[in-house]
Amino acid sequence: MLEATSRYIAEEKVFHGFIPRIMGTRFDILLAGVSSALGESCWALTVTELQRLDKILNRFDATSEVSRLNGNAFKKPFAVSREFWDILNDCKKYHQMTSGIFDVTLKDFSLVKFHEETKSVSFSISDLSLDFGGYAKGYALEKIKGILKKQNIGHAFINFGNSSIMGIGKHPYGNGWKVNINNPFHPEKVLGEFTLKNAVLTTSGNTPDYTEHIIHPFSGKRNNEKKCICVITNNACDGEVLSTSLIASHQDKQKIITKFEPAKIIEYKFVN
Amino acid sequence: MSNKNNKNTVDLSLRQFIKDLGCVTGGAALLGTMPWLQSFTPAAAEEIKKEKARVALIGTGSRGLYHIHNLFLIPHAEIVALCDDYAPNLKAAAELVPKARTYTDYRKLLEAKDIDGVIISSPLNWHAPMVLDSLAAGKHVFCEKAMADSFQACKDIYDAYQETDKVLYFCMQRMFDEKYIKGMQMIHSGLIGEVVGCRMHWFRNHNWRRPVPSPELERKINWRLYWESSQGLMTELASHQLEVCNWATGLNPQSVMGMGDIVYWKDGREVYDSVSLVYRYSNHVKITYESLISNKFNGMEDEILGKEGTMHLASGVYYMEDEKIGKSGIEQLLNQIGNKVFTAIPAAGPSWRPETRKEYQAHNILKGKFDVNDGFSMIGVDNDGSDAILDAFCQACITGEKGKDIVEEAYSATTQCLLGNQAMAERREIFFPEEYKIPYMKF
Repeated sequence: MLEATSRYIAEEKVFHGFIPRIMGTRFDILLAGVSSALGESCWALTVTELQRLDKILNRFDATSEVSRLNGNAFKKPFAVSREFWDILNDCKKYHQMTSGIFDVTLKDFSLVKFHEETKSVSFSISDLSLDFGGYAKGYALEKIKGILKKQNIGHAFINFGNSSIMGIGKHPYGNGWKVNINNPFHPEKVLGEFTLKNAVLTTSGNTPDYTEHIIHPFSGKRNNEKKCICVITNNACDGEVLSTSLIASHQDKQKIITKFEPAKIIEYKFVN
Repeated sequence: MSNKNNKNTVDLSLRQFIKDLGCVTGGAALLGTMPWLQSFTPAAAEEIKKEKARVALIGTGSRGLYHIHNLFLIPHAEIVALCDDYAPNLKAAAELVPKARTYTDYRKLLEAKDIDGVIISSPLNWHAPMVLDSLAAGKHVFCEKAMADSFQACKDIYDAYQETDKVLYFCMQRMFDEKYIKGMQMIHSGLIGEVVGCRMHWFRNHNWRRPVPSPELERKINWRLYWESSQGLMTELASHQLEVCNWATGLNPQSVMGMGDIVYWKDGREVYDSVSLVYRYSNHVKITYESLISNKFNGMEDEILGKEGTMHLASGVYYMEDEKIGKSGIEQLLNQIGNKVFTAIPAAGPSWRPETRKEYQAHNILKGKFDVNDGFSMIGVDNDGSDAILDAFCQACITGEKGKDIVEEAYSATTQCLLGNQAMAERREIFFPEEYKIPYMKF
């Protein structure tokens, strides 16, 4: 992780914390209506929590739990931590809810074997690895939501790499938190505006310099359509999974959506 | 010296800053790599607030006067004596500190019993004799950089320091500059990745001269321009910057090559007005050092290149490699709140990925406002650490606590400057001489 920084703006009672790189992206949190001390203590808990989760879920860190699992689960069942076990089961649940579209193996989730008694996991083939790219930020946001609740912080805005934005309570001068989504291919063009109040906006899609990263798990085909999907949910994990699944899926979108709690879903297609 | 009214608070703020740095996660360990700062705390200032370090200035030229102004703002310092062998300089200082005794011979000053510490701001060739005599006279010593004008003189001072219980400081002010402290902490915590290069430069467009009232005073007043009294741009400017490179890499260069010439100021001076050198560390990382005083376009910068980013310590700014420019919207949101406005911020979009570089974005090392040295002043600037290191010295005059690593850093930096001059004089790659390696230096 890179240096975390923070500042407090006393006149507005606003605390801002920033991490330039964590879980492969950057993290910003704004706490409104807090004292400096409360902001600092909440920020310290948040940084610690993100570092902890990064150590579980970041596959680019060779020492993380997921990396160790990826490297060892084919040889023999790999015993995982209680939390990671729950995460894997959560991903299994989402796999079923999305008719198999949401898949942390990006290949075939049935190749992941769960051993309940030993809380261990094994892979049926050697060429398998788990990637929590479409899940981890949502999971982390839910954890941070828990921290904020415990600290009695009622108003916060969190931007986790632009694709996951959570608004809790309200802006000091508004009734929620307003964000725009801009066309990634033409950043000056505003596609839409959302007001978040105790909700999460999750966006999936391609960008000009990051295309074809969305893979359909059944066909293995890369999706290079110029589109993005915005999902507003109460639960950040639901948002991650829904947006990831809907961008990858060609059919059965409605079938997937009905499995989730009501969510606002908007799809944008770009001609250019 | 423009903002002297707030110097005290600036000074206390550095102490607080250091205390705060030690409080962040991992901060204590990182501060442990800067042991000279450990005693520079608000608590230490509180402890000595009723006491005074009785100090004397040896050398009251422009830099001596600069220190006097800083001393006025250090509550635990009292100037008791002044010495200079150039009457106009002594007079200028005496006007500032009328109650201080005046001397024209520093040896006489050293005989005074009511002096705890001396502050030496003399031409470079006088550093070694004055430092050695002062230590021998039982005084604590603060001396301008560079350490001395030859390897042997540096070694003599270093050896004397090993034997004495007196405090010795050299004015390596970057060691007390918040930008550098925080920046180094960031470098050592891995922010810019592995250090792969150092690019240091100092450009001015000035003849580096002082006005001379009569010709026989030329060498006395313009001592910087002659080899008998100066080691030129290397000791006067590069010494600070080479120290920064060693601080960042944790190493000392093994060898150096370079060229030095008088390109423009062909006015009878001896020292180069243009130097270009390459220093090489054992891990093959190189310092490229350049100083030219007939063009100021590039100003002064201490640039540390890392695999993941670049640190501009003099400007207090860093840049990350492969960072896509794209606002998180937070700045806009903060501005909005400041203006009591509620509108949408452009934040949402597909995942922001740091791997897709477009341009470099500047990030400040420090929060809030801070001072940046453009490098053009020949005397010194505000809040560049010079006041804080002097404050720390005055504290040490009272407590008797030696400043950790300061002499060693000055020794390492100065000897590298001298090595550079030798390389330029001999036009070949020069390796650091074994006999002048001290245990502190890692090659």
